Amino acid sequence: MTVTAPAAMLDPALLARIGDLPLLARTVVDGFMHGLHRSRRVGLSLDFAEHRAYQPGDDIRRIDWRVYGRTDRHFVKEYEADTNATVIFALDASASMDFASGPITKFHYGRVLTASLAWLSQRQGDRIGLVTFSEDLIDVVPPSTRHLQLLLHTLGRSRAAGAGRFAPILERAARLMSRAGIVVVISDCYEDPALVQHSVGALRGRGHDVVLFHVHDPAERDLPGDAPITYEDAESGERLPLRPEVLRPKYQAEVEAHRRELARLLGQDRVDYVPLLTTQPLDVALHAYLENRLATSRVR
Amino acid sequence: MGLGFLVPLFLAGLAALAIPVFIHLRHREWERPHRFPSLMFLRRIPIRTARRRRITDWLLLLLRAAVVALLVLAFARPFFRQNAAAIAAARARAVVVLLDRSLSMGHREVWPRALDSAAAVVRSLGPNDRVAVVRFDEQTELAQALTTDHATALAVISATVPTSRGTRYAAGLRAARQALIGAGDPGEIVVVTDLQRSGLAGLAGVDLPAGTLVRTASVAAQDRGNLSVLGADVQRLPSAARSELLVTARVRARDLPGARKARILLTVDGRAAGTKEASVPVDGVVTVSFDPIPLSSGRARAVVSLEPDALAADDTLRLVIPAEAGLRVLMAGARGSSGDDMLFAERALGIGRDPRFTVERRQVIDPAALRGASVVLWFDASPPETVLAPWVREGGGLIIVAGARLGEGNSLLPGTSGGMVERLGDGGGSFGEVSVDHPIFSLFKEGGTAVLGAARFLRYPRIAPGEGSQVLARFDDGAPLLLEKSVGEGRVLLVAAPLDNLMGDFPLQPAFLPFMRRLAIYAAGHRVSPLWRTTGETGIVPGGVREPVISTPGGELVRPASDSAPCTVILEEAGFYQTYENRAAGEPIEVVAVNPPSAESDLTPADPRELLIGVRQSDSTSAIPRERLAAAEEESRQGIWRLLLGAVLVLLVLEALVANRGWRGAAAAVLPAPPERKSP
Repeated sequence: MTVTAPAAMLDPALLARIGDLPLLARTVVDGFMHGLHRSRRVGLSLDFAEHRAYQPGDDIRRIDWRVYGRTDRHFVKEYEADTNATVIFALDASASMDFASGPITKFHYGRVLTASLAWLSQRQGDRIGLVTFSEDLIDVVPPSTRHLQLLLHTLGRSRAAGAGRFAPILERAARLMSRAGIVVVISDCYEDPALVQHSVGALRGRGHDVVLFHVHDPAERDLPGDAPITYEDAESGERLPLRPEVLRPKYQAEVEAHRRELARLLGQDRVDYVPLLTTQPLDVALHAYLENRLATSRVR
Repeated sequence: MGLGFLVPLFLAGLAALAIPVFIHLRHREWERPHRFPSLMFLRRIPIRTARRRRITDWLLLLLRAAVVALLVLAFARPFFRQNAAAIAAARARAVVVLLDRSLSMGHREVWPRALDSAAAVVRSLGPNDRVAVVRFDEQTELAQALTTDHATALAVISATVPTSRGTRYAAGLRAARQALIGAGDPGEIVVVTDLQRSGLAGLAGVDLPAGTLVRTASVAAQDRGNLSVLGADVQRLPSAARSELLVTARVRARDLPGARKARILLTVDGRAAGTKEASVPVDGVVTVSFDPIPLSSGRARAVVSLEPDALAADDTLRLVIPAEAGLRVLMAGARGSSGDDMLFAERALGIGRDPRFTVERRQVIDPAALRGASVVLWFDASPPETVLAPWVREGGGLIIVAGARLGEGNSLLPGTSGGMVERLGDGGGSFGEVSVDHPIFSLFKEGGTAVLGAARFLRYPRIAPGEGSQVLARFDDGAPLLLEKSVGEGRVLLVAAPLDNLMGDFPLQPAFLPFMRRLAIYAAGHRVSPLWRTTGETGIVPGGVREPVISTPGGELVRPASDSAPCTVILEEAGFYQTYENRAAGEPIEVVAVNPPSAESDLTPADPRELLIGVRQSDSTSAIPRERLAAAEEESRQGIWRLLLGAVLVLLVLEALVANRGWRGAAAAVLPAPPERKSP
């Protein structure tokens, strides 16, 4: 008996109170799937892929009787969900991710998102792997259909610290995959957009599909506050005394320009760029992921 | 009414006002930083530095600046000056007139000025001011305690006369300090003195209360030339019928305008005994010898005087020439002794006068022979204890010259013989350790014991000291040479050194004669009285005088307390003190001449500042003006600094409230944007 969670459980503020990451991921995915059933959207797991000849041991319920009627031979239906793909999750664990103006940090949001996507992928029979990185690779879980628990355990003990280096790490992560797969990058993308494009483009060149979740905190976007305040860079420790109310318009313009540039450049390489706020429910990310998977399947 | 500050130096602390301004300008640098994921976008925005330096919270800055300013003002101890000045004017003073009345103040030129200066101090006081009069020389006298009766103080001053005593400023200042006790306010001491340098000794230990003002009214003589009789020596010359007296006087000249002739007069027992004229230098000592004067053997009073000069008190020297003393010495020895060993001692004691020894050789010593004898010299045998012991206990002196036949078991003996020591082999023994502070050997103290060391002893008895005896000298091998034992009022001396020239050469040495005389004088208990004493010393009434009466030079009769022995009296005046028994009539038992200390004749003044050297706190306190003291009192009364500190506390509370008011607290936190939800 499958226990499903309500869709309200996808709210990050609520998820932040759940400490058990596997339970969290399962809750998210079940809640998401429950929402899908109520919605009119169709998932990839029901899509037909091809027929193959019946073999002893196959479930007779999967025999396509209409084909049997036309050809008098037993064929079973193969669906897209049954096809195995390799999915690598690359989670940015730099110090800048350890920031929250609300109840959940960007890093924790990223962990929940990674766990949920991994759980979802596992349900679809994908081989899943994990890479966490800051200045260097921190944790590596090689792709496998049996590595969900290891992946969740690794995520559970990971911490955000150190400076982030986006480009070289992604290239090294991609080498973990022997064949073309999906690379899911979860980062706050404090990098030059051209550099991000270069790194991601390299992945695309190797045949990988790339989904980039750009995680934001609302405070990063809005720069709130009126009084003079000294900002300290979470990664470098540099301090900068500022008056936010004066600089806010220019800052917000800079942030928006960065986001637009990322979307433009990554769009050129057919990379799914998904900006996320830590206050947004996770179904946004899950939908984006599934849509990517759908597109990938159709292409294939 | 103006605002004054008791400690204006603290106003320099107003420079600290820059601190809150600096804090405000640098505030954000010190504020707890707000951690932000990345400054990548913020760094791209151009920021004007000038805007960072702007003061943003004027109210807080003003509050903090006011706190600093009020603290500085509180430490500067502000007060309203008009009231302080009024108090200073109305404040009553406590003044001690410390009047020097030592001998040197008797200078013809000095004393009238001293009285006038002291009176001027009193007359300068306000009607509410209190004054005390302290007279001092070597001693002090509170002539008038603190009073507002200035007329009485003036009368006390005018009644003061110079004394014959020396000067001690330390005693005077201590007495003035005592006079100021209970005055309430820091007092003032005005020292009216000629600043004689000899009186400065002992000032280092003087401690005056804080705030005491010490002022000097110097009345030192302009003409410091002075002639004084410094001292005199007296010698009795042997003569056929009567002795003759030879008096030598020393005259001291100081700072004379030029060398001149001086006439010196000698008076003996009230009769002019000689006059001499001498040329005295500008500065120096002249010795004058008078012609010998025929004199009886009795006691005589002599006066050496100069023609009076500006300081007449030191122009006269009084002295008492003691009666010619005669001591009877009995010499005896073991029965059958040849008496050769007594020869050198007998001859040595027969030489010299003051005192003159009369030596008698006796075969037998009996009570009749001992009557009138002062010393018994007993040679080379144990003395007859039954005869000599009672005599010694009553004050007789027994000298035992030890030899080979010295016996044992005699209670008079200071030690027992342990056989003879032969020193022929090593060239003879000599004097070893000697108690040079003992009256017998004090004569050899200055020249060391080298004179004694020349003597050689070839054979002598080894004496073991007995109970109650004291070793006064030892041979170089450590054996006792001279032992002493007190018996009753008298004393017994045991000499282990041979006094003949068979067992040593001591009788042939120069030290033998003075040694023998000192030995006999000490054994006889003979006391040599000084020719004169100095004022301020303590005189002792001779023992055995019942109900003594002392006639002072001023004519007063003093009966010292006879319940304690010995009876003493302080010799305060210059002149002759005469001691009588029962009543002051007839021939006095004892006469003592008293002269002022010679240091008083030196009129060289000291610098007034020297008077305060060593007096603790005087330098600083004397520099505190009266207005300053009044200001301190007024400031203490007003207590404005307390109000200022109270205001500081209020401002600090306000500052805390303002510093943590709402909008600042909110500004430190970064509020998250409201959650955005995408519709599925």
